[in-house]
Formats: sequence, structure tokens, C-alpha cells
Amino acid sequence: MSSIEVDWTRCDAHGLCSRLLPEVITLDEWGYPVIDGSDLDRDLVRAARKTAMACPALALRVERRP
Amino acid sequence: MTLIREAAAPATTTVSVLGTPRLLAGVVEGGRVDLAHHRALHGDLVLRRRTWLSGALHDVNLLGRGGAAFPVAAKLDAMPLGRVNIVVNGSEGEPASRKDRVLMTCAPHLVIDGAVVAAHALGARDVTIVIHDAAAHESVRLAALERSDVAGMRIVRTHDGFVGGEIRSVINGLNGAAAIPGGRRTLPHVRGVGGAPSFASNVETFAHLALVALLGVDGYARTGSTAEPGTSLLTLIGDVATPGVVEVPNGVPLGMLFAGQPDAPVLIGGYHGTWVRGVAGLVVERASLRAAGSPLGAGVIARPYAGTCVLDEVVRVSRWLASESSGQCGPCFFGLPALSDDMAALAVGAGTDRLASLTRRVNLVRGRGACAHPDGSVQFISSAVRTLGDELETHARHGSCGRPASTVLPLPAGGS
Repeated sequence: MSSIEVDWTRCDAHGLCSRLLPEVITLDEWGYPVIDGSDLDRDLVRAARKTAMACPALALRVERRP
Repeated sequence: MTLIREAAAPATTTVSVLGTPRLLAGVVEGGRVDLAHHRALHGDLVLRRRTWLSGALHDVNLLGRGGAAFPVAAKLDAMPLGRVNIVVNGSEGEPASRKDRVLMTCAPHLVIDGAVVAAHALGARDVTIVIHDAAAHESVRLAALERSDVAGMRIVRTHDGFVGGEIRSVINGLNGAAAIPGGRRTLPHVRGVGGAPSFASNVETFAHLALVALLGVDGYARTGSTAEPGTSLLTLIGDVATPGVVEVPNGVPLGMLFAGQPDAPVLIGGYHGTWVRGVAGLVVERASLRAAGSPLGAGVIARPYAGTCVLDEVVRVSRWLASESSGQCGPCFFGLPALSDDMAALAVGAGTDRLASLTRRVNLVRGRGACAHPDGSVQFISSAVRTLGDELETHARHGSCGRPASTVLPLPAGGS
């Protein structure tokens, strides 16, 4: 199982992540990501990795959990 | 059991004891305990091997006293072999808490004993004691001068606030960075002071560690409850039996700390704590208070006086909590001011729409930060809303309750 983790100290609410991965990420009223559910669907892991790499603040990580 | 003696501590905090004092032995009668008096009260320092200490801490179920109540035996077991150091956190960032500074001011040698015991068990050479309060710092500094077993001990004065008192902030500060928590949850036992693993805990934890080493498991467990032997230091505020710092045996009913007003709102744990209505059935025992949904936190218990407006006080502290965000994490930096605005609006009579907005924002802030500040602040605000339903209804109907504001909860100077 994989999940998307946010480093809140880095996130600057650019909002790119929710455009790249709208299936999982929406934005709150201040523009910060709200991630739906803790486990990523398997077919979304690749897209999630790409999203994490695209984050201008490098605030996202895709972590694998046992 | 009900014997309560009182004495004025060197600071302005009143110190009292329920039952037999342990941490505060000698303090209630005579104030600060110097080295000779300390040794006369507790006997010579007993150093233990790591395996003994680990087993004993497990047997007496010693839980960390900084607020998280993490099992100290597990913390000790997590320490790797090799170059490690000890961090004694006496920064006491919780604004309502006085117990750590009272302990350091009045019984500094017990704290130092605990640090020496931990350092010996872990083979650590460096010990750092971090203190915010001036009188406490002076007392520990003087105590260290009295001893010959404190080579390698650093006593550091800090000037950081609530978030700065969290151990990861303290360690960042000691490492020369800003005293704010990092984005990744790196725990001190992995990377602490100077990059080496640190055994870090609250000052009261270290004092108990010294007592466990001195008394052994059976001796230590002679007071307190079966689930959590020993005593605890509490800071009692407002309409309580003995305001100030009190040492109590674990397991005593919270009701013993109050007189009258059985259904009044009570704040348990501090400004990251929980409002409850009445304390029937609650006892001073960390696991059972956590199970009841109101963890003991840093040991602060406050009750506003009858006939005062508690909502006003909740708004005041909520504003302060919002101002204490270190500004690192957006949901905390934007969310806490929005939540305290919601709370303030409810206190002047805003209706159910505003309550819905508050509830929605509670879920947007919780769990979305690098440290415990957003979660703890949300706990304070959401438990107030849950507990103070009658008060909120009165305010919604009349725009106010007409009572004078409750002002028992202290804020740091300039913070209110």
C-alpha cells in the first residue's frame, strides 16, 4: 500500500497537485491539499509519483507502507 | 491521604501535597532542597545498569511527563548503542503549567540525579538541561555547582514559546537552527543534539527516573495506583481546593481536587487539552484519562469560578493559540485564526451556520501540521464547543450571558 504524505512546512499552497491528481487531491479554503483517504489505489501510484515530482515546493512524498 | 500542607515556594506559586510527598519531599516544609538536605532525604545516588533500569521503568509503568505520556521504558529501549546524549526538557512551554519550574526551583538535585542515572545507564557523556524560567535556571545552575558528578552537563536557557517547547523544536534550537519543529517527524532517539541520538524527556520524568533507581520497583510502587504507580505533579488553577502546584499519588479521583460545583466545566491537560463537564469517575491516571477522551497532558487542571463566562475565556485562549502558530504550516497558520474567529462569533451570538463552519474547519486543521500545535489547539476549541452547549445556547439567544469574563487561564506577558 502507498500513501501521499505532505511536508506541511514546505507546502506553499501552489495547488498544482490538485490539478495533476484531482482523483485524490482537492484544496481547502486556503489552497492547501486535502488528500482523500490514506491508501492510494494501485493504478494511481505512478501518477502520484509524477505529481510529487512536479510540486514546486517539493512538499509531497509517496510512501510505501507495509 | 487528605492531609494537605502548604508552603510558599520561592516563586509566587503555592506548593502543596496530597498524601506523602516524593518529588516535593522537604519542599513543603523548607522550600529549596540543597545537596546536603537532598541526600539526607533520599540517600546517596544509586546508579543502575541499562537492563535493570529498562525493566524497572517497565514494571512501574513510568510515562513521560511532558504531555505525550509515552512509556519511558520504550523510549530507553529505542536508544541505540554508541555515542548518545541526554536532553532534559525544562522549557515548560505550556503557559498554564508551573510544575516543571517548581520542581527545578525547589528540588533541582532530583532532576540532576535523574539525568546522571540516565547518562550512566546509556553510557552518555553529554547532558543538556534546557530551561526557560529564570529562577529555575538559577536553581539548577547553583545545584550543579554543588556537585562533582556533572562534568559534561550543559545548562541552557531558552527563550522560546509554546511550540518552541516541544522536544523536536528544543533540539533544533540546540543545534543552532530556529526552535521550530522540522517537517519530517524525526524523533530525538534517531537524530538529536549534534546529530547523535538523544534520550530526551521532561524534567519531571527525570526526577521519577531518579526515584525509581533509588527506591527500586517495590519501593517506588508503594504509592500510586496499580496501573500507574508513583505520584504526579499537577498545576491546579481557578476554583480548585488548592491552587498552585500539587503532588498527588496516581489514582486519586479528580473530584478530590475540587469542592462543590459538580457539573462545572473543567479544562484537563492545558491549552492543548480538553474541556469536560464535571469530573465524576475520572482519576489521575494517564491511561484511563486518555481512554476517557481527556488526556492529562502536562498536568494542568483548571476550573473557572461559578458565575463567570467561560466562553469569554475560551475565545481569549483560542486567539492566543492562533497567534502562537510558528507560521510553518498553512492549515495551522490560516486555520487557527479562522477557528478563533468562529469561536469569537459564537460567543457574541452567531448561530448554527457559524457552528457548522467551525466544525468543518476543525477537520481541516486536525492532523495537518508538522507538530502537535494544530491538533492540540483544535482539541481545546472543539471540546469547548462540545462541552459548553448550554453556554453557547444562552449566547446565541441573548448575544451574551451577562456574566463577567472568566480570567483564570494565564497567558504569557503580552499574549492576551
